[in-house]
Parts: sequence; C-alpha cells; structure tokens
Amino acid sequence: MRKNILFIGVLLGVLSLAAFSAYSQEDIEFVEDSAFTDNMRPLPAFKHDEHNEMAGLECNECHHVYDDDGNLVEDESSEDQECSECHGAEGDEYPMELVRRYHLNCRGCHLSEKAGPVACGECHAKAP
Amino acid sequence: MHAIYNFVSGPLAWVAFILFFGGILYQLISRAIMAKKKDAFIYEYWSFYHAFRSILHWIFPFASTNSRNRPVLSVVTFIFHICIFVAPIFLFAHITLINEAFNVSWWFLPDGVADIMTLLVIGACIFFLIRRLTQPDVKFLSNAWDYVLLALVAAPFVTGYWAYHQWPGNQLVTILHMLSAEILLAIIPFTKLNHMFLFFFTRGYMGSEFGAVRFARDW
Ligand code: HEC
Ligand code: HEC
Ligand code: HEC
Ligand code: HEC
Repeated sequence: MRKNILFIGVLLGVLSLAAFSAYSQEDIEFVEDSAFTDNMRPLPAFKHDEHNEMAGLECNECHHVYDDDGNLVEDESSEDQECSECHGAEGDEYPMELVRRYHLNCRGCHLSEKAGPVACGECHAKAP
Repeated sequence: MHAIYNFVSGPLAWVAFILFFGGILYQLISRAIMAKKKDAFIYEYWSFYHAFRSILHWIFPFASTNSRNRPVLSVVTFIFHICIFVAPIFLFAHITLINEAFNVSWWFLPDGVADIMTLLVIGACIFFLIRRLTQPDVKFLSNAWDYVLLALVAAPFVTGYWAYHQWPGNQLVTILHMLSAEILLAIIPFTKLNHMFLFFFTRGYMGSEFGAVRFARDW
C-alpha cells in the first residue's frame, strides 16, 4: 500500500513537472507586450530563442538593467519584466515612447548590423 | 537591400528636405527681391484684408464663380488637397519614424482613416488624368511634363498604399515609396507644384489689387 502511494506520488510529480516545463518552454513566437491593448498592426514575428541564438545575442542586450548613473549593469538581466514596465506606458495616452523603444531596439540593431527586417511590413507581417 | 534602405531613409531624406525647405525659401526671397526691383507697386497695393478675403474665396469650393462653374472639379480638388496634406503629416508610420530619429511626436490619424484618404488621393489623380486626356481645352494645354508631374504626385500614395497592405514585394515598394516621396519633395519648389506656397502670394496680390485699388471682387 505505501509503495503504491509512493509510486502514484512520484508519477504525479513527474507528470506535473513535465507539464510545467512544457508550459515554460512554450516558445515565444511574437512580441506581444501587454501595454498594447488594441494592436494597429499585425504582431511582429519574433522566434525568441532561435533569433537570439542565430544573432548571437546576450540576454541583457534587450533585457537590460541600468544603474542609477545610467550605466548598463553587465551581468544582470530584466528578463522577468516586460519592456513596457520601464519604458513609458503610463496613463491613458498612447504609449508612443514604448513603440519608439521597441523600434530602436529591434530595427535599430537590424539597420546597424545590416541584417534582419527593417520595413514596417517585414516585421508586422500579416499572417499568410 | 539594407544598404539601399539606409541610404534612402537617411542621407537622401536629408537632401530631399533641404531642397524642399531651402527651395521654398529661395523662391520666396528671390521673388520678393525681384518684385521690389521691378514691380514695387506690389508692396504698395498689398492689403492683408483683401488678400485673405480673396484667398478664402478661392480655397473653398463654390465660393468663387470659377468654382461654381466646375462643381465636380472643385469638390475633387478640395478633397485632394486636404488629403495630400493631412494623410502624410498625421500618419502613424511617419510620426513614429520621426519620433525614433528626433524624439518628437504629435497626434495621429487612425490607420483606417489615412488609408481612405490615400485612396481618395489616388482616385483624384486618376480623375485629373482622365480630365487631361479627354477635355479638349485641358488636353490642348497639357504637355508630357504635366503627365510626369501627375505621376510623381501619385507615386508616393500608390506605393504607400501598396506597402501598407503588404502586397508582393513590399520591402522594395517601401524603398520606392521613400524614394518617390523624396523626389516629389525636392521638385516641388522648382516646378509648378510651387503653387503650394506661391498661391497665397499670387492670389493675395490679385485680391489686393482688385479689392483695395479697383474696389472690385476677384472671385
Ligand atoms: C533581441 C532582444 C532579446 C534578447 C537578446 C533576449 N530577449 Fe527575452 N524577450 C524579448 C522580448 C521582446 C520578449 C517578449 C516581451 C513581450 O512579449 O512582452 C522577451 C521575453 C522573455 C521572457 C519572458 C517570457 C514570458 O512569457 O514572459 C523571458 C523569460 C526571456 N525573454 C528570457 C530571455 C533570456 C534568458 C535571454 C538570453 C538568453 C533573452 N531573453 C534574450 C527580447 C529579447
Ligand atoms: C528594468 C527596467 C527596464 C526594462 C525591463 C527594459 N529597459 Fe530599456 N532601458 C532602461 C533604462 C533605465 C535605460 C537607459 C535610460 C534610458 O534610455 O531611458 C534603457 C534604455 C533603452 C534603450 C535605449 C538604449 C539602448 O540600449 O539602445 C532602448 C532602445 C531600450 N531600453 C529598449 C528596451 C526594450 C526593447 C526592452 C524589452 C525587451 C527594455 N528596454 C526593457 C530600463 C529598462
Ligand atoms: C542586437 C541586435 C538585434 C536586436 C536587438 C534584434 N535583432 Fe532581430 N535580427 C538580428 C540579426 C543579426 C538578424 C539576422 C540573423 C540572420 O539572418 O543571420 C535578425 C533577424 C531577425 C528576424 C528575421 C529572422 C529570420 O528568420 O530570418 C526577425 C523577424 C527579427 N530579427 C525580429 C526582431 C525583433 C522583433 C526584435 C526586437 C524585439 C529584434 N529582432 C531585435 C539582430 C537583432
Ligand atoms: C524590426 C521589427 C520592426 C519593424 C521594422 C517595425 N516594427 Fe513596429 N513594432 C515592433 C515590435 C517588436 C513592437 C512591439 C509589439 C507588441 O508588443 O505588440 C512594435 C510595435 C508597433 C506598434 C504598436 C503596436 C500596435 O500594433 O499597435 C505599431 C503601431 C508599430 N509597431 C508600427 C510600425 C510601423 C508603422 C513600422 C514602420 C515604420 C514598424 N512598426 C516597423 C517591431 C517592428
């Protein structure tokens, strides 16, 4: 009897772990910041892990942390926060500043690296 | 493609805006000096009240006899001129690009409204083309350059519509969109499209001479 309970317990544990890791590994395919409630454009495709591996990017290239003097903190990451939590999305006004930050980050790098999409329709592509 | 995109959206955009604003300044100043030398009475006759009175009558449809005689053309040109200004200046895509470069932004139109305005501009250009091709007096007065100018005016709107709706080749068309708009901006001061700013002076002078000197209306 005790063996059975132990077995079921372990089984449940393994199953829920599998379910949990499957959930957390669910790949990011689009950027979908919760600050944009009524998207005007199709969501920009962004295969998070694939993209960052392909382009060889450090996490804090995007999920950056700055100290009080405005210097980038090298080995810290803000991956648990959305960009909008720090970049101008307060109040009822349209978060123009947030769009600016996303575009400077994504498009800015593509422009200077001469690789990756730069025209509006390349990132905000309609589903085919 | 990135090199072309960078060039068209960077240095070429600067050249276009410098030619546009510099060209306007040059035209206004050189004409003001020429008038002072040759037709000094223009300054004497000029009257702001009569100038504005005449400008207003010629800007709004049906406020002048000329306009009442051509009701369809009047309505089309009125809508065309509003859309050609309002749509590009209050388009989200333009504002966000300016905001990214200079950190300034302003109110924008819903994309759907800008989309309709773009269609109205394209429709008006087709109307102008057909009018040139079919109406004998206008046809007689048109030369090849008139058709080229009309195409240059329509091009940024056609390519903008194309890119926004992501029809095939939208990356290339986005580049053509910027390029055609830059060509248009650069030539405005140096072609008859300069009525964009000269209109106010030619009409204003007519209004002044007729109103303040001859005590007559000019609309
Ligand atoms: C090119 C920029 C970029 C890089 C580099 C990057 N990320 Fe992200 N990351 C994003 C964006 C954009 C989002 C999605 C934000 C959203 O949709 O709200 C995101 C989301 C996340 C999330 C949150 C997922 C969720 O559902 O909330 C985690 C965790 C994360 N990234 C971890 C990492 C790690 C770890 C690295 C380094 C290996 C990394 N990121 C590198 C841009 C980047
Ligand atoms: C923990 C807060 C925080 C988060 C989260 C954050 N940022 Fe930042 N970000 C800052 C600070 C602070 C600066 C530097 C000061 C400034 O420019 O406002 C900065 C600077 C920037 C800059 C200009 C400098 C540069 O690196 O080019 C961009 C663009 C940017 N962030 C984009 C993003 C994007 C995109 C995300 C989400 C993936 C993001 N930020 C997430 C705080 C944050
Ligand atoms: C620091 C540089 C950098 C940043 C930041 C960056 N990218 Fe990229 N991105 C690249 C590079 C480099 C490539 C081209 C990779 C290749 O083709 O080898 C690329 C390619 C892409 C592609 C095309 C991928 C494919 O399958 O061809 C997309 C889509 C993309 N990026 C979206 C984004 C989005 C969205 C963001 C912002 C959240 C972003 N990128 C931020 C460097 C960057
Ligand atoms: C390199 C990729 C990229 C390019 C190029 C790009 N964007 Fe974005 N844009 C993004 C990302 C990432 C976001 C954040 C999306 C989100 O969280 O929903 C965004 C957000 C937006 C938003 C706010 C969200 C919405 O849909 O309402 C608008 C509007 C927008 N972009 C318009 C444009 C326009 C117009 C252009 C061309 C001038 C453009 N973008 C070019 C990546 C891009």
